[in-house]
Amino acid sequence: MTQEIETGIRIRVKKLLDLGEVSCVIGHEHGPRGHTRPAFVYDSADAERLVWDRTCHHNLVAYVRDKIATLARGAEPGSTPRVAVVARPCDVRSLNVLIHEGQVTRESVFVVGVACPGMLDAGDPEAQDGQALHCRYCTERVPVFYDALVGDPPKVKVPDEPWPGVAEVEAMPPAERLAFWTQEFDRCIRCYACRQACPACYCFECLAEQVDPPWVSIAHRVPQKAFFHIMRAYHLAGRCSGCQACEAACPVHLPLSLLNRKIAAEVEALFGYVAGANPDTPPPLATFRKDEELPL
Amino acid sequence: MRATSHESLLAWLDTLIERSTLVAPQRVEREWLYRPVSSAAAIAFDFQRTTVSPKGYFFPETEVLLDIERRGREVVMGEPDLAGDQLLFAIRPCDARALLVLDALLVDRPPADSYYARRRERTTLVGLACPQMWDGCFCTSLGSGPADASAVDLMLYHDGDGYLVETVTDKGAALVAGVDWPEVDRPAPEPEITAEVVSVRPPDEWLAAFDEVVWQRLADRCLSCHACTYVCPTCRCFDVRDDLTAAGPGYVHVQRLRAWDSCMSPAYRRIAGGHNPRPDTAQRLRNRFFCKFCYSPRDFCAVACVGCGRCIAACPAGVDIVEVLRGV
Repeated sequence: MTQEIETGIRIRVKKLLDLGEVSCVIGHEHGPRGHTRPAFVYDSADAERLVWDRTCHHNLVAYVRDKIATLARGAEPGSTPRVAVVARPCDVRSLNVLIHEGQVTRESVFVVGVACPGMLDAGDPEAQDGQALHCRYCTERVPVFYDALVGDPPKVKVPDEPWPGVAEVEAMPPAERLAFWTQEFDRCIRCYACRQACPACYCFECLAEQVDPPWVSIAHRVPQKAFFHIMRAYHLAGRCSGCQACEAACPVHLPLSLLNRKIAAEVEALFGYVAGANPDTPPPLATFRKDEELPL
Repeated sequence: MRATSHESLLAWLDTLIERSTLVAPQRVEREWLYRPVSSAAAIAFDFQRTTVSPKGYFFPETEVLLDIERRGREVVMGEPDLAGDQLLFAIRPCDARALLVLDALLVDRPPADSYYARRRERTTLVGLACPQMWDGCFCTSLGSGPADASAVDLMLYHDGDGYLVETVTDKGAALVAGVDWPEVDRPAPEPEITAEVVSVRPPDEWLAAFDEVVWQRLADRCLSCHACTYVCPTCRCFDVRDDLTAAGPGYVHVQRLRAWDSCMSPAYRRIAGGHNPRPDTAQRLRNRFFCKFCYSPRDFCAVACVGCGRCIAACPAGVDIVEVLRGV
């Protein structure tokens, strides 16, 4: 299954670069220790470097915006650089959010869509079936849009019960919930890997690092860490595609998706909107309509 | 060399807790981290490499440099209390050697960082030799090894179910004075060296590679997060800012804080006028490696890397410092 995806990616990428349709392809490769990591291919001879398996958990859309900007700096005036990106269904939804927010144009990206079989858990290889939790509950096999699709959409059985986690934390009495989050945030090292790995976090200056006014102290203490994560989760309302790149990037394995999923569920309940799920529907919090009413 | 059982070691540690803060590896969810422990029973002896280095016990993530209180016309300034002793138990050889690097960078040449120096002075290091090398470990490329006792006060080696104890410094000797562990005549077990030794190029070779395009290619995947610098045992950059913590009529309380900062961040080198001498990821990533292997050895006689491999494990994008050393 993944072999077919990998072969499909290489064939497609080789052609794209040979024909000069894109100047750079963002995919995955094996690092020197055998782990998969993001790869940037500029020459069709390097297409063979690209791999795909169920450990390719990076959301490569996070690189697209800056890559296009970097290429544009060195490009002929008037020409528009184009990049190709290997993307799973959740990645494409985050790309869709960026397109709606005017960060990337659809024309500047060639989407090599992956018919996704679900990923293996990045941090916990002993997880049930080895399958990442968010993938076990995901019904999305084919991206909402793509320029090429690789792999055959697999049939995956999704459990009937609700995705665990959020409800359990919500059921905790306030004091217990505070203790839970305090304990989690305590080991945060404020490295911002979650933010940097997130396609939707593209602010030029993050509120957590703003100097004037200095909203958040430079201290690495629980209040600052908690504020940062909660603030980030709110700023991702209706924008988080649930790809879990943040959790995969976290060096201390914080359960950040609990926050994101909670807010995604609220947005879906209020607006009937799933981030990037429809190419034609803009994100609700970035939109205001004449007939808009607060659904209270 | 002396020998002790696990139980006797725990009992000894529990007596030391009465005199000093005991910092030791603990299991916290999926991580191993150095944390203060209230009982030796809480120590995770099966730890491998902690996710974050123990440098924070010398150079804290956040510390109050100065506490300033103003009441009316009266201003009172206070420094942090750095009086208590701490015992860092089960420090790995690489992390202990990292403290020698920090000594060279922060203390040996005046003006010394007095906060670091005082914490260093009041801390005793009890090393625990690594039983093996783990994925990413490359201490043997930096002139050390999993059983290197050169930077600790007292060294422990796994010995069956117990430990062999080697006294390295007077500070270490004082720690075990009066303990009835018997002298034994057997060498410490030799851990297997599983990592290939990579040669570290001299500073001038790095300078010759300054303009290579490889830095651009390497930086393609770098996300500009701070993970590598914060888990690193020798990265020591910080920011200082005054926090207004309380204010009222005639009353102001300000704390001058120092907190970890990272050269990987675009804002790190931003200066007046919005200029930035390292505006691109490639320049920042290159600087991190040059700081470790070119500038620090050239200016402070210390390669600022001990081969702990944490940055390799922590990097969400797969940047690998050994790959850089190999010449990519």
